[in-house]
Amino acid sequence: MVTTLPKTDVVIVGAGWTGLAAAYELAHNGQRCVVLERGSYRHDATDFAGPEEHDELKYARRKEHMIDTPVKTLSFRNNRDEQALPMRRLGSFLPGKGLGGAGIHWNGQLWRPLPSDLEMRSHYTDRYGASILDGMTVQDWGVTYDELEPHLDFFDRICGTAGIAGNIGGEIQEGGNPFEGPRSAPYPNPPMKTPPPLQRFHDAAQGMGLHPFQMPSANVTQSYENPYGAQLHPCTYCGFCERFGCGYYAKADPIICIYDRLKGHENFELRFETHVLRVEKSSDGQTVTGVTYVDAEGREVFQPADVVCLNAYGLWNVHLMLVSGLGERYDPATGEGTLGRNYAYQTIAAVSVIFEEDVWSNPFIGAGALGMTVDDYNGDNFDHTGLGFVGGGYISANQTNGRPINYQPVPPGTPSWGLEWKQALRETYAHHVGIVCHGSSMSVPENYLDLDPTWTDDYGQPLLRLTFDFPDNDRRMAAWVLDRAEEIARNMEGVRHISTSNNAAEGEAYSIVPYQTTHNTGGAVMGTDPATSVVNRYGQHWDYHNVFVFGACLFPQNLGYNPTGPLMGLAYWTIEHMKRDYLPDPRPLMDA
Amino acid sequence: MIPFSRRAVLMGLGAAGLSAAVPGPAKAQNPFQRIDGRPWFFLSDAEARFFAAAGDTLIPGDEFPSATQAGVVDFIDLQLAGPYGQGATLYLKGPFPQGTSAQGWQMPYTPADLFRRGIALMGDSGTPLADLDAEGRNDAMTRLSEGETDIGPDIPATGLFDELWALVREGYFADPIYGGNRDYAGWEMVGFPGAHAYYLDFVEVNAPYPVQPRGIAHVPGTNRPAEFPGARRGG
Repeated sequence: MVTTLPKTDVVIVGAGWTGLAAAYELAHNGQRCVVLERGSYRHDATDFAGPEEHDELKYARRKEHMIDTPVKTLSFRNNRDEQALPMRRLGSFLPGKGLGGAGIHWNGQLWRPLPSDLEMRSHYTDRYGASILDGMTVQDWGVTYDELEPHLDFFDRICGTAGIAGNIGGEIQEGGNPFEGPRSAPYPNPPMKTPPPLQRFHDAAQGMGLHPFQMPSANVTQSYENPYGAQLHPCTYCGFCERFGCGYYAKADPIICIYDRLKGHENFELRFETHVLRVEKSSDGQTVTGVTYVDAEGREVFQPADVVCLNAYGLWNVHLMLVSGLGERYDPATGEGTLGRNYAYQTIAAVSVIFEEDVWSNPFIGAGALGMTVDDYNGDNFDHTGLGFVGGGYISANQTNGRPINYQPVPPGTPSWGLEWKQALRETYAHHVGIVCHGSSMSVPENYLDLDPTWTDDYGQPLLRLTFDFPDNDRRMAAWVLDRAEEIARNMEGVRHISTSNNAAEGEAYSIVPYQTTHNTGGAVMGTDPATSVVNRYGQHWDYHNVFVFGACLFPQNLGYNPTGPLMGLAYWTIEHMKRDYLPDPRPLMDA
Repeated sequence: MIPFSRRAVLMGLGAAGLSAAVPGPAKAQNPFQRIDGRPWFFLSDAEARFFAAAGDTLIPGDEFPSATQAGVVDFIDLQLAGPYGQGATLYLKGPFPQGTSAQGWQMPYTPADLFRRGIALMGDSGTPLADLDAEGRNDAMTRLSEGETDIGPDIPATGLFDELWALVREGYFADPIYGGNRDYAGWEMVGFPGAHAYYLDFVEVNAPYPVQPRGIAHVPGTNRPAEFPGARRGG
């Protein structure tokens, strides 16, 4: 028996970054918003404070802040010839749970896309000819950099981002990233400090004619009040960032930056421990009527709403649309259908740098976004003629997460256990830095999301099924960018050993086991053509005009940047068009 | 009746012994003393001896403590008894067809089941690890890590080794509230200052960080955390 509740104006699935941003803006716009969150209440002050939060075993190893696979998981295979099997334990990526979602355990590396990234097919076709994209389903996003810029800038202000702008209104700025698109304003806060290894990376890169700059950081560098009135404090470089919440109020997250400023609003209601099963379609064939969820007592509840916003983690948004039948499922055999199409990831390679004894990295001193970066080899910032690939990545020396269980650098050739290993570890630990190549990920016809035919969750719904391997384009890109990173490492002062690793190395299948990054993209991509996108350029569903989709599932292919900045720019872009255009006159905002 | 002693169980290791189970005199305040008389939460005596022998092969003693000296067996006992060992965060719905290594854990077992079965099966097919000499233990660990040990059709040797090695390292480096990293053995070895973390003034300094480790339950003025929580909770 299903309980039907009174209708609300807007129902929002998920209380992370995008869901709370939508709730804040729409509640203040006069819409009554009900937010449904699968997890529980938690707060930075009461749940993330040190020293208890500084527990590597509990949070980084046992992943206490992340989704539990018995609650929500997917099945995985490298290709269609294999049987997908359940991801029984978290590994390659770490979706969140509870208030704030994955937004509480991010690193705070806050980027924006390059202008050419957003018009990728057009841009590459113009510069190199269309054949450079053969075999890939790369496409334009349908929204331009200039259109997104005010929203990217607003999110920088929500987070109090720290950094040096590289381009303000077309004027290149000393010390920033000269490749970035024009900004309307500088970063709200000054950049982070520079530990000794990052200074050495900076000097080497600069000496090679590259353009190093301090990575833009949502680990805040001074007292700051955001546009919603939230107070943030300076980062302490405690080193417990990725996989942890921040009890110092120093890493911008959805709880302190948005929820605290919204929680008392009369138009806002948040229901915890509500597991949304499906979006219900109307008999009119062009709208939905609301969502059905299971509450904490196991009761099925129907929440009617004029508008449904999907703000779960990108993968789960796609799952919810698949089990609700919102759109035509993608079939890689025919290329027909859009839902589940263009799944992409992130292509990560790395250089491990061990210094001489007199260079102290003290890797426990760190912050999620403490990095010295060059963007010279990202996107189309360099000439791809003759290279055999598109895309690229930033190269960054990061001092982020040097805790002793997960961070155990030893020189190449060291045995992996025993006395020699033990001695090598203690000689290396405080004299090491990692350089990451944070590479883009192109969409191809064989990488996609659909539903698993065998395994189900506790509610009897089929698991999401992920079919993915690194495309050849990205393998070539990763190898090439890794060579560039190794060159920088070789030019750094005081280096004793260098070694490299590449998740996308030739002949290595993508593995769901080792952590790579929580940057899953696509599956419900945006665009201007309903034949190749699930939602239009405003994030509005092509077939059901009162459904708006948020998050990295919108990305047609993945950038060489971390997704939170871009996806929040898109969120505020969508919200603006809902407020200004859709809600006063609900209808499809684009002609199909 | 002779009272139970964890120490006595581990001292029963064969000829190679373990530097191991006996804390040195400098560690008189060792929390190990306080839980020595506590029966294992999960392990059998034979399993405890396996983990001690394996742990001290993977992290032997030198001027820094071995795995068992650092409390790794106590740590593993608690972990296998708790949510991790009982598979609280593992999706364990069948069926369980064999997968590729890229597909990760496909065994129909919780970690606790995996070790219980794995250790028993390895014991059935040869001399228990704890009864081998140092060289024999090294060889056995090498074979296990290289997937050459036969533990039956549904337990890949490398799967068991990876889980074992992860547990041993966790026990050596996790906060001491979990029973391992005793007296900050692991943290002192690498120079990790611990859970009380505030480095604003030291970020740009090129020098060793001159502060002793402090854990979540650190007792001010000492080099140790508050007493072992398992002991505090009582029976």
